[in-house]
Amino acid sequence: MQAVLEGPGFGSLLSLGRLMFAVQSEDDRTRTEPDPIEQRAIAAVKNGDAGSYDYLVSKYMKRVVSIAWGIVRNADDAEDLAQEAFVKAYQTIERFKPGEPFGPWIYRIVTNLALDVIKHRQRFRHEELTDSHPAARGDRADLAAVSNELALRIDAAIESLPEMQRVVARLYLVEHFEHAEIAAMTDLSEGTVRSHLSLARAKLRERLADLHGGNNE
Amino acid sequence: MNEDRFFDRVRKEAASLRYEPRDAFVWTRLSARIRERIKRPADVSQMLARWLRPAAASFLMLAIAAGLTVVWVEHAQSPYAVETIASHPVEITVDGDTFSLTE
Repeated sequence: MQAVLEGPGFGSLLSLGRLMFAVQSEDDRTRTEPDPIEQRAIAAVKNGDAGSYDYLVSKYMKRVVSIAWGIVRNADDAEDLAQEAFVKAYQTIERFKPGEPFGPWIYRIVTNLALDVIKHRQRFRHEELTDSHPAARGDRADLAAVSNELALRIDAAIESLPEMQRVVARLYLVEHFEHAEIAAMTDLSEGTVRSHLSLARAKLRERLADLHGGNNE
Repeated sequence: MNEDRFFDRVRKEAASLRYEPRDAFVWTRLSARIRERIKRPADVSQMLARWLRPAAASFLMLAIAAGLTVVWVEHAQSPYAVETIASHPVEITVDGDTFSLTE
């Protein structure tokens, strides 16, 4: 769905935002180029119109929660992180550069918040656990909707990767971000992202060897 | 299957692993919570922090500037004070005798 509103009124903009939220397509998930309605919403929020923020929340909510969930693998934590990310973005929107798309910014905020949760968990695990077996990272119950056996195997293979390889692989494979976008979101260099992805790729190839062998071609 | 095609296939299949909420009201609930948080009026501590932080920063800058000024003035005046004392001999008179204190 694509529409451009003319005129200064934002009431219709908000309605459109809510509508877009309801009918968000797959294409919207990956689109990051500037959107004129989004730019107007950002300008309005900067001028004190908090209501215009609804448009940004509606447009990016689904993907922000998905990014957070992919990293922390817990639905409740992911929702809390998404909420925190949107509030933080709102509180610091003055620093947001005009003309830039909002997506990469909010993705970066939520990724950093989620990585903080992971670091906190690792520290906690390190202090609490005395055995060498890592604690279960994921909440696979949230994958109930995925009926595809192959997708579930890929999920298990990604989850078995070391932490940063897992995060990078998930952002690349599941969320379909490109190397540069992942680098910006994780505060890693593009070279480091490529390196993590290359290592992840080798391990995934090993763990999904039967697919790689051509049996499923 | 070559490696690139394998990875492309994995990427295509993995798209279905994106998060889907278990109940349809998650988005509405989350949006409402965010709306409530950003529209909530600031509480007393936030109001105080909003006013006190810039005030404290201003006082700190003033204190630093004043301290630096005092140090600079003292440093600049010290040779002048010695010169002034040296060029104005002190004379003390005791029982009709005059004692002079010069360089």
